[in-house]
Amino acid sequence: MKRISLLLAALGLAATAFAAAPARAADDVKIGVMFPLTGNAAAAGAAAKAAVEVAVDIVNNAHPELGNIPLAATAGLPNLGGAKLDVTFVDHQGNPSVAQQLATRLITEDKVNVLMGAYQSSCTFTATAVAERYGIPFMVGDSAALNITTRGLKYVFRATPIATDYARTYMRFFADMKKEGKKIGSIAIVNENTDYGTSVGDAIEAEAKKSDIPVAIRIPYAASSTDVSAQVLQLKEKQPDVIIFISYTADSILYLKTMKSLDYKPQMILGDDSGFSDPSFIPAVNDIAQGVMNRSAWAIGKPGSTTSKINDMYKAKTGRDLDDTSARNMQGFLALADAINRAGSTDPEKIRAALAQTDLKPDQLMMGYQGIKYDDTGQNILAATYLIQLHGKQYQLVWPATAATDKLQWPMSGSAQ
Amino acid sequence: MKPFLPPRVAVVLLAAGLLLYPLILSDPFYRDIGVTFLLAAISASAWNIVGGYAGQVSVGHSMFFGIGAYVPLLVYTLWGWPPIAGIPIAMVLAIGLAVLIGLPTFRLTGHYFSMATIAVAELIRIFVSTWDLVGAAIGLQGPATARGWWDLTFRSELPYYYIFLAVLGVVLLTTAMIERRRFGFYLRAIKAGERAARSLGVPVRQTKLQALALSAAFTAVAGSLYVIKTGFIDPDSAFGILISVQMLIIAALGGAGTLFGPLVGALILIPLQTATNSLFGGGGSGLTYILYGGIIVFIARFEPGGLFEMWQRVAPRLRKRLHAA
Amino acid sequence: MVAVQVIVGGLLLGAIYALFSSGLTLIWGMMNFINFAHGEFVMLGMYVALLVVVWIGGGPPIFIAAAALSLFVLGIGIYLSLIRHVIRGPMLAQILSTFGLALLLRYTAFFIFSANFVSLPQTSLAGTIKIGGIFLPIAQLVAGAVAIVLTVSLHLLLTRTTVGSKLLAVAEDRSAAMLMGIKPDRMQALAWGLSAGAAGIAGALLATAYPWSPSVGETFGLVAFVVVALGGFGSVLGSLYAGLIIGLIQAVSAFWLGAIYKDIVVYGLFVALLWLRPQGLMGKL
Repeated sequence: MKRISLLLAALGLAATAFAAAPARAADDVKIGVMFPLTGNAAAAGAAAKAAVEVAVDIVNNAHPELGNIPLAATAGLPNLGGAKLDVTFVDHQGNPSVAQQLATRLITEDKVNVLMGAYQSSCTFTATAVAERYGIPFMVGDSAALNITTRGLKYVFRATPIATDYARTYMRFFADMKKEGKKIGSIAIVNENTDYGTSVGDAIEAEAKKSDIPVAIRIPYAASSTDVSAQVLQLKEKQPDVIIFISYTADSILYLKTMKSLDYKPQMILGDDSGFSDPSFIPAVNDIAQGVMNRSAWAIGKPGSTTSKINDMYKAKTGRDLDDTSARNMQGFLALADAINRAGSTDPEKIRAALAQTDLKPDQLMMGYQGIKYDDTGQNILAATYLIQLHGKQYQLVWPATAATDKLQWPMSGSAQ
Repeated sequence: MKPFLPPRVAVVLLAAGLLLYPLILSDPFYRDIGVTFLLAAISASAWNIVGGYAGQVSVGHSMFFGIGAYVPLLVYTLWGWPPIAGIPIAMVLAIGLAVLIGLPTFRLTGHYFSMATIAVAELIRIFVSTWDLVGAAIGLQGPATARGWWDLTFRSELPYYYIFLAVLGVVLLTTAMIERRRFGFYLRAIKAGERAARSLGVPVRQTKLQALALSAAFTAVAGSLYVIKTGFIDPDSAFGILISVQMLIIAALGGAGTLFGPLVGALILIPLQTATNSLFGGGGSGLTYILYGGIIVFIARFEPGGLFEMWQRVAPRLRKRLHAA
Repeated sequence: MVAVQVIVGGLLLGAIYALFSSGLTLIWGMMNFINFAHGEFVMLGMYVALLVVVWIGGGPPIFIAAAALSLFVLGIGIYLSLIRHVIRGPMLAQILSTFGLALLLRYTAFFIFSANFVSLPQTSLAGTIKIGGIFLPIAQLVAGAVAIVLTVSLHLLLTRTTVGSKLLAVAEDRSAAMLMGIKPDRMQALAWGLSAGAAGIAGALLATAYPWSPSVGETFGLVAFVVVALGGFGSVLGSLYAGLIIGLIQAVSAFWLGAIYKDIVVYGLFVALLWLRPQGLMGKL
């Protein structure tokens, strides 16, 4: 009697086990994500990777507290039967040839349905060419070079703003300032001399010309410079009203410290993201850089807001606040997931079509864009950026006035007085 | 010293292996590794001519590679030519640079010469990154889609593989011919000792220049092949010091100054590199380069002649064991 | 006024260049051997300083001493385990040995410390003083002054002490030195220790004033080559003058030509030197 009941119990358990086994409703969606995880940009790559991991969490698990962010409320992709996102991260080391090879591997070996990446424009160039060849959609999370989307490629989409967007934003800002009676007689452009700094610097120079704002001096320099005092002295000599920095972290800090020790403070310093947004920037220079401006399409926002909650998720994972660059990657990823969901399939062609028809509204975004809608080169034409300013130990949104949470300080005060 | 396998058989086996590889492992990823391997073998074999045979350790060969990489894309960007049309021009420029560099630096010996090559390569890299005509820091792109077969932008890796294989064949054949001729003798004499060579009547200066020029031309071709496959170039991927170092390591690992040394070195190092990338890459730690560094130090300390020399020592013993058994 | 500021800045940095280059020139003079990993020694000195500050909160004297000591030991260790064996071998092996070492050290540092730029938390050397309209950041001033003192000390060590004359004897004629009862091996090991130690101190001094990452070894290595080429291989005093001159040229070209061109000028100078005057200012060839 005992044995039979044991047997029955065992069978019963087995039956429940089988019944309870999650019915594999659909295949998971495979996404290949390429970042520099070693080399000069390793820190940025790691931060972006963490941001994408948070995005995966948002999509794969139910997060009803995140408002209108697409796919947050549900677990998995509803139109694919709750299929989850399965992300493979690879490290291209900042080498375009490795990026090319890894893209090939991800597509042919790992059989990814879509790709995303790659931070350095040089790597994005080669990887997107591979994706195009195989007909795999590629979401450019954050690469500034203009001609990534102007090669006539059909499978490449970019949600983030690009160099010309930033340049035009700055010019609009200067125009506003002039209207308020502030003096902008000339500007200086100080850019690190790899493709990032050069392309943004070029764009700003071109837009400044169109807006009739003279560029007093353009200073390209190597980001790894040990000493920049000669450059600061050059600036001191030219006395521009606004200095725009397109710099990475160490050099941004170095410039500010050198300017302090050489007792030089222009009316305004405007940093083009990157170094100025790095977590180590504010702690390193906040006593001498009060009033420094920066651009960001990302703002943490008020406590309790959706963006603040997303920031908390990121902070729980990495111990730091979400920075603009990683946030843009995250937004690109979410837009990609949204398109896959709308496609209702893992078929690359359908995903591509869905991407092309993307029309996300501002309240569905974590970034401050005016929306996500791609033109036929794959560039988001509604990408935009705010301008923020260092007040105390945090950046505050100060422009445009419609979105501002704090008053713009002009000229910058420099030291915390 | 009897070799393990009759050399003819070994070479035939090797050639067969290389020819059949992309047909056996036909996955695009594996073919891509094959192409990368061939490129590395070509560059290292080119370096080998002046660095291995003549003993002039250039650590700035990327200057020739870079020229080979930039010129095809330059002629495409400026005049719309198919990139391969730029290859002969690149070779001529590389030879010109070789003579320009060689004339003054070959007066220096050993370490001096190596330092000079590093400095010149760095100089060129920085200069190119500021020169707008060649794209400055942003670099140049190749044709995104083929306008015709001559653009060589293939969807499949297979044509690239066989083209590169053919070029490798040419480089190795040239090296083999040199080995047997008087030129090869001169090179070896110079490597063994310049003063002695000179007293033997070897035209040292001329020989060194010729070796450098030949090496430069082949290295430039390697650069062109790279850019035709990758479709993109910027100062770092063209003139970076790691490119020079990689050529050096691969040749040294296999055996600098031997015909097949560079090929063997590439055969080991490229798959190793890809494997460490796949295994550890996602973790982000640069283990590949730590590995590189460790390998180089190891070769330098224990086996400067590379694997070939090690094999020469070990093979007879293995043969004895096999015969005894 | 601006010109003086530029010049002063250049000289202060140049003094540090002189310090770390003096070690490189010592090795070259003694052993006809170029250490391609020399820049990495400087880089390690910087990280030792960081670790000392972060772990035990030591001030400049402590972390400078720590850098000196640890790099001294490392230098000797490298000589005994690696250099001693390759020095008699083929040229390729000699060059590969320190090249491989450079890669090993650099990427191990990347592995341990990541690629992020770091700088020392505020030390007692923060702030700037102003003398006659010229701004002198204290950290740079102290670093430069210490560098000059140490370089001169090294020179005096070599020329005025018994140990020093033994080192120079081995440099000049190894076999004769052996006949005199000097052990060349020991002297060479000592030279490597001194060379690395000097580089380590230079690194620690640089750390007080500038940010860095593992990649700085490459740049400093090249600077060291240029300084040694100008100063003359084997002459510590030569590297003192040359270091100051190079620092000056760098600053001046950065100001008048632009940041990017300063590197071109310095490397161009290097190449020109190797062409035209390989023995530099004060060296023997």
